[in-house]
Amino acid sequence: MKSQAATNTQSPSPLSEAQPIDQPVLSAQPTPLRPERRTTPRTWETPPAPVPPPHFDDYQAIVGTAELDELRFLASEVKGKTVKMVNSTAVGGGVAEMLNRLVPLLGELEVTTHWDVITGGNDFFEVTKAFHNALHGSEYQLTRSAQEIFLAYNEQNRQRMQFPEDMVVIHDPQPAALIGARKDSPGRWVWRCHIDLSSPNPQVWGFLRPFIEQFDASIFSSQSFARQLPIPQYLFYPCIDPLSEKNKELDESFVQKICDEFGIDRSRPIVTQVSRFDRLKDPVGVVQAFKLARKYVDCQLILAGGGASDDPEGALVLKEVKEVAGDDPDIIILDLPPWCALEINALQRASTIVVQKSIKEGFGLTVTEALWKGKPTIAGAVGGIPNQIIHKLTGMLVHSVEGCAYQIRYLLTHPDFAAQLGRNGREHVKENFLMTTNVRRWLLLLRILLGVGAPSRTPFN
Amino acid sequence: MTTTAQLPLSRTLVKPFYFNTSAHLLRITTQKANTLAELLDALRVCPDDSIFKHTFRTLQELHFLREGFSNDFAHWALTACNEPGLAEQLASVDVREFTSLGELRERFVQIVDKHLQLNPADGQRMAEETFYFCASDTVVMPTKFVAETLQDFVKGLREVSVHSIHHHFIEARLRIKLMSNDFSQWLHEDVGLTDTARALNRIDIYTVTLEDVRKQMLRIVERALT
Repeated sequence: MKSQAATNTQSPSPLSEAQPIDQPVLSAQPTPLRPERRTTPRTWETPPAPVPPPHFDDYQAIVGTAELDELRFLASEVKGKTVKMVNSTAVGGGVAEMLNRLVPLLGELEVTTHWDVITGGNDFFEVTKAFHNALHGSEYQLTRSAQEIFLAYNEQNRQRMQFPEDMVVIHDPQPAALIGARKDSPGRWVWRCHIDLSSPNPQVWGFLRPFIEQFDASIFSSQSFARQLPIPQYLFYPCIDPLSEKNKELDESFVQKICDEFGIDRSRPIVTQVSRFDRLKDPVGVVQAFKLARKYVDCQLILAGGGASDDPEGALVLKEVKEVAGDDPDIIILDLPPWCALEINALQRASTIVVQKSIKEGFGLTVTEALWKGKPTIAGAVGGIPNQIIHKLTGMLVHSVEGCAYQIRYLLTHPDFAAQLGRNGREHVKENFLMTTNVRRWLLLLRILLGVGAPSRTPFN
Repeated sequence: MTTTAQLPLSRTLVKPFYFNTSAHLLRITTQKANTLAELLDALRVCPDDSIFKHTFRTLQELHFLREGFSNDFAHWALTACNEPGLAEQLASVDVREFTSLGELRERFVQIVDKHLQLNPADGQRMAEETFYFCASDTVVMPTKFVAETLQDFVKGLREVSVHSIHHHFIEARLRIKLMSNDFSQWLHEDVGLTDTARALNRIDIYTVTLEDVRKQMLRIVERALT
């Protein structure tokens, strides 16, 4: 049986509806135990309607009453205060996904939070995309024209918007020049940087830095992403929502159904990497590690991701991965559309081990998702991953294909140790990387910046 | 010692125990270290908040671990500097033996300084990862639990968050400046259960999770109730 890239081009109906099963891909010697694999698994052709966000009390079953009581107390001290969040997109991307959950939760706690999205032409977003890549370290020649475009659209948005809130939070570089409105605003201004600034293009950072220095505070996602700045820098780890489609508990029957759909044999160990087909996620390295490990242990590999249909580079990487995978029937390659959160959730839950063998990474929320599901996780020691994986305690950090292969073998042959890693990883996420922890951080920041409530203190005075 | 026979469980005690809790917001400071020599320099000058964050606060963040993690300095010495001997010494520092962050800082400085005197070449070797000094801004807040009887105390102990357990049981010594904790102080001074107070204070926080600590405390206090 050849490895197959699943697409969503054929099936209009959701997975929950009964569908005829396509013929399995050719197999010379079909194994009776192996479920049939569809050439075109049933995924939604268009995104499903958005699920209403959960309510604050819904999190009680996850984090407990005491945790929610603490959040309510913190919120009571800033009750009636107002916050404005400003970013550059209302849909798509991690920032919008996070704000979609955070804004209503803060509202429920009577901290009214407005969310404004800046507008701009294609020329603006081309410039900001280039800035984004340059801040991640790419080569870039900053031109006067790019600067003018950036400033002109920021000024246009500044004139359109008002900032009467107690705290204004500007997300990422795109709207950073809105800080020009601060002099007419009563609130405190915070720059929330979601990107890794550890080695930025000096020209772009030199251009943006004077704006950033005018904020009252900044927030970074990892210690290693920050810059030396004259303003306070807070550490807010990115977070996942345990009640989202991607992370909520699933019925076992649904997980089984998804595995059946994709031809995954749950009677044998499953090693999974969920990520875009991007060289920085090293999917080829994962296949190589899997092949090395399988000399010693029986297992299957799932590479589930996307990005191959709308990104020429992604399509190229997918092609390379398929070439390396060859006709190995135990390597299942799934190119899924971005709205398959439930399917990804099910695949993660069905996995014995989750791998994220990135060569470069932001914070690595797919690692967070795997840890939350209690999965023993092996990941590259890059970006924000070491914040999540403490080697041998909450997961295994690796630096090479060989290291990854060894850890797959080790975890598959030491299930008690693997299970302990999984338990620790889930607790680590519960304590540090859940949406409720994020709400706590925003409430604390609001309280500290506005100087309300009992004075914050060190625990030793 | 007062026996439980002399202590009706429902009697209102002289001074109630107010369960509080604390929340922390992390700041990234300007100090960082790429070598052990730089770590030593930064340890000498970093704010007390940083010493707190990398010891007490880290214990709270990782309250679910039973082994293998004591403080961030030890972890970095092992994983980024590959210095297991130094890491063992740093990991052996028990925060509960210190009632001030100044003393705690001095202990870490002594250990690293001594290691570098004996192994000068280690001081300049580049670590695999940078150590970023962070700091912790703390907000103390009340909970709904107030113990006016031992039964109330058991209920509170059972239901408060692990943050509250950490606040009263581990962080407390920095506040009360005693080699004790809020629970033991109350049991000793206001309830008269001195042996129970001592037993609580002997619980090893480095070999169990904070939930395990809670269970051990409940067993000890409930034993005093019977």
